[in-house]
Amino acid sequence: MKRSEILSRLLVIAGVLLVLSVPLAVHFYEGQGIVEIHGRMAESGGWSPNSIHAQVGVPLHLRLTSDDVMHGFAIGQSDMPVVDVAPGKMTEVTITFNKPGTYTYYCTRWCGPNHWRMRGTIEVSGGSSDAPQPVSPPLYMTLNLNIDAPHPAIATPTERPSALRGAAFAAMLSSSYLTNDYYRAHSPSQAYLDLRADPALSSLSNPNVWDLVAYIWQSNTTPEGRAEGQRLFARNCSACHGESGGGDGVFSASVNAQTGKFPANFTDPASLLGASPALLQGKILRGGMGTGMPYWGPIFENETIWSIIGYIYTFQFDEVQK
Amino acid sequence: MKLSREQWFYIILAGLAGALIVFAPLPVRVAPPSQRTFRVEASQFAYSPAVLTVNPGDTVTIELVSTDVVHGLYVDGYGASVTADPGQTVSLTFIANEPGSFRFRCNVTCGALHPFMIGKLQVGTNTLLWRAVGLALLAAFSGVALFPRPATVKAV
Amino acid sequence: MRSELTRFSVVKSLLKNRWPQLFGFIVMLAGFLYAIMTGFIGTPVGNNNFSTVFVWIAWWAILILVAVPFFGRGWCAVCPIPLPGEWIQRGAILEPPSRKPRRFNLRWPNKLRNIWLQNLTFTLVALFSTVILTTPKVTAVVLAAMLFLAVGMSIVFERRTFCRYLCPVSGFIGLYAQTAPVELRVKDKQVCITCKGKPCYNGSAAGYGCPWDVFPGGLTKNTYCGLCMECLRTCPNDNIAINLRPFAADLGQPSRKLDEAFKAFIMLGAAMVYAGVLLGPWGELKSAAYSVGTVAWFGYVMAFLAFIFGLLPALFWLAVKLGQVLSKSNVPARHVFAAFATALVPLGLMFWVAFSLSFVLTNASYIFIAFSDPFGWGWNLFGTAALTWQPYLTTALVPLQTLVLVGGLLWSVRTAQKVGREVKIQPVPVIVFSMLVTLVMLGLLL
Repeated sequence: MKRSEILSRLLVIAGVLLVLSVPLAVHFYEGQGIVEIHGRMAESGGWSPNSIHAQVGVPLHLRLTSDDVMHGFAIGQSDMPVVDVAPGKMTEVTITFNKPGTYTYYCTRWCGPNHWRMRGTIEVSGGSSDAPQPVSPPLYMTLNLNIDAPHPAIATPTERPSALRGAAFAAMLSSSYLTNDYYRAHSPSQAYLDLRADPALSSLSNPNVWDLVAYIWQSNTTPEGRAEGQRLFARNCSACHGESGGGDGVFSASVNAQTGKFPANFTDPASLLGASPALLQGKILRGGMGTGMPYWGPIFENETIWSIIGYIYTFQFDEVQK
Repeated sequence: MKLSREQWFYIILAGLAGALIVFAPLPVRVAPPSQRTFRVEASQFAYSPAVLTVNPGDTVTIELVSTDVVHGLYVDGYGASVTADPGQTVSLTFIANEPGSFRFRCNVTCGALHPFMIGKLQVGTNTLLWRAVGLALLAAFSGVALFPRPATVKAV
Repeated sequence: MRSELTRFSVVKSLLKNRWPQLFGFIVMLAGFLYAIMTGFIGTPVGNNNFSTVFVWIAWWAILILVAVPFFGRGWCAVCPIPLPGEWIQRGAILEPPSRKPRRFNLRWPNKLRNIWLQNLTFTLVALFSTVILTTPKVTAVVLAAMLFLAVGMSIVFERRTFCRYLCPVSGFIGLYAQTAPVELRVKDKQVCITCKGKPCYNGSAAGYGCPWDVFPGGLTKNTYCGLCMECLRTCPNDNIAINLRPFAADLGQPSRKLDEAFKAFIMLGAAMVYAGVLLGPWGELKSAAYSVGTVAWFGYVMAFLAFIFGLLPALFWLAVKLGQVLSKSNVPARHVFAAFATALVPLGLMFWVAFSLSFVLTNASYIFIAFSDPFGWGWNLFGTAALTWQPYLTTALVPLQTLVLVGGLLWSVRTAQKVGREVKIQPVPVIVFSMLVTLVMLGLLL
């Protein structure tokens, strides 16, 4: 064979090998010590992998990418910042866990009616030898509430209650009604009946008693908490429950098609005014109820859930300040 | 190819007609500017409604509602854009001071056909289309007139 | 009105020498294999994967906006797909080896010596195009399949049968290459007639016989000349020239072949269908075209085929028939039909240019992103990975498309008149056809 022919064959082989092998080698080298997580819509498999292991105190390097549409990534009950997981892009995140346990990572951008099913777990082991903190059961369990049962309001107002008007009669109110414990354990309609039966308030008209209920509900929340609740509601709830709480979100039809039920309508006084904060907490924590409601237990801290609940009641009550 | 005097005449005539079609001011229907609000639902891979018709000078507000995954809306020519997550309606407001037909497109990768998720914003009459149609008619007619018909020419 | 480029010795030796070509081949082949690799192992997101972006935006833009209109089969001259097979067939990469390898070297069946198969393969690709051009893995499978098919056909058959008879792209490149201002022709036909052995067709120690199965001495059109430069190397009489020439010089001799006529319909129709389906505001059409295997997709396929093989040719037939009646001609209708279809060549090319301008300008920013991060692995090779998508020149698009479409129509009118003169039939009905489809295209794009 001629020398030129040999040279040309070598050149062809070298050129092809170079182009094919260098990227692979670089990719292999880059991937050392890193967990690569691919996000897909839940219908096409969700997170892959959907369970990973980590050690307490050892930084966990993650490379996140989406294989289809826009997703987001966050770890429940942690203060790790939420990151976007964009299609065809890599997002790198490094997390160090201080406490052992099972953490849930979840998608933060709605990616279809089954968005909330896009979850995975991180098993964090090792580390602290302290005995785990005793966890108190959530209030709905302590109160033994059946969160699957219907909860019609025993009474409903004839006009929209206003915490601002209620504040005018606040001085007449016994302080026992204003405690956090009272607020969380009672539905607004129960509170209305309690106040109506209170002789100290017998001079008040029915609407004004309702205004007092609104006042109690508001005084157990803060403007910051309600704002936080509003933000979280928009991100996590309104796709089904509707941006104005009407149970008519963009996925309500598909929820109905899957479960035969519609997402709860918070603008309906007959339903929401019969629900206590504790009951709502149970529904948010555990989900289910045959309605396609996601469970948020592994994701939200308790305070976060109370903020959302505080916001949800503003679909019924006018606030002092927006 | 040598052109006859007659052909030169036609070429100049066609050129003038072409210039007229391209530059002639067209009668514009003047409508007082108003506020126009559209609720546009975005889903894989279409907008609904997909064609928005407004008058020049209107203040256009598009409320973008994503009904499955995160979508966006980018208006060609205006460069205005917005993105919306399902459950979080977002508004885009701009003044439609540029007449014509503009495509609007999704600007957040939303699946396979994302590059083809397209809608149309029609601001006033699509004069460019009518001018182009005029030019096409002119091209066809002048082409016929410019060059001799087979009956008048000897076979090559 | 021709200017010979090969009269400059630099140009000629650059083209004759095998090394510059080989370096081009290596780059193209490596890039092609790279595209297959990125498609298989890179991100499945089409607009961020090198394979889809490179092939359907970058390559397509270069092919339809530059290569075909200005260089004809210039792409074929550097296309990497037939190379591995050809090298195996020849037993060499450079000059012919002293001992020929034993291959089957079968002749391509006579019945298939036309571009019907290419019409079929293009139509097949066109029916699946929404999936192919948005899914990296599918793009990679198609590219790899073409490579393997080309290798297999090179081993079984003689010359480049894949390019000549099967490649879905080659068919329309050949058709539209007739409009290009570049050609390969012999300088003096008389020399070829008396030439002994015809090494340009049969090969010699200096080079291979025409891979495209064309005798250069008989070349009158660009359609089937792949610009591979072998005849430039083998011609013992220095009788091969690369010429600059006026655009569309080949269209003066209308085709008489029905397969080429239908190629023109397929291309014209496909450009219109894509302008409506891909660039239009109709979501259901897009979903139908994408959901392969569903009832909606079958509907789309039926409509697509009916439009391309039914409606367009039927209307065109009526136009031709009307012209025939008007001219009281008795030329065989089949010939006239195919001949007049030549008028659709410049029109179809300009339809594709207009469609591609919109598609390419709005998506060109993906090229920069995907070149920097070809696999979607977070690389940033050229510092452009973080660019955000941005359509380019949206305000210039409509005037450009108008210019292109009206120009195409004018060109088509001229061609129809030339054909009319040739076959002595009134071309006005055909011109009206061209005008009507141009109006439809304008309506779809503007």
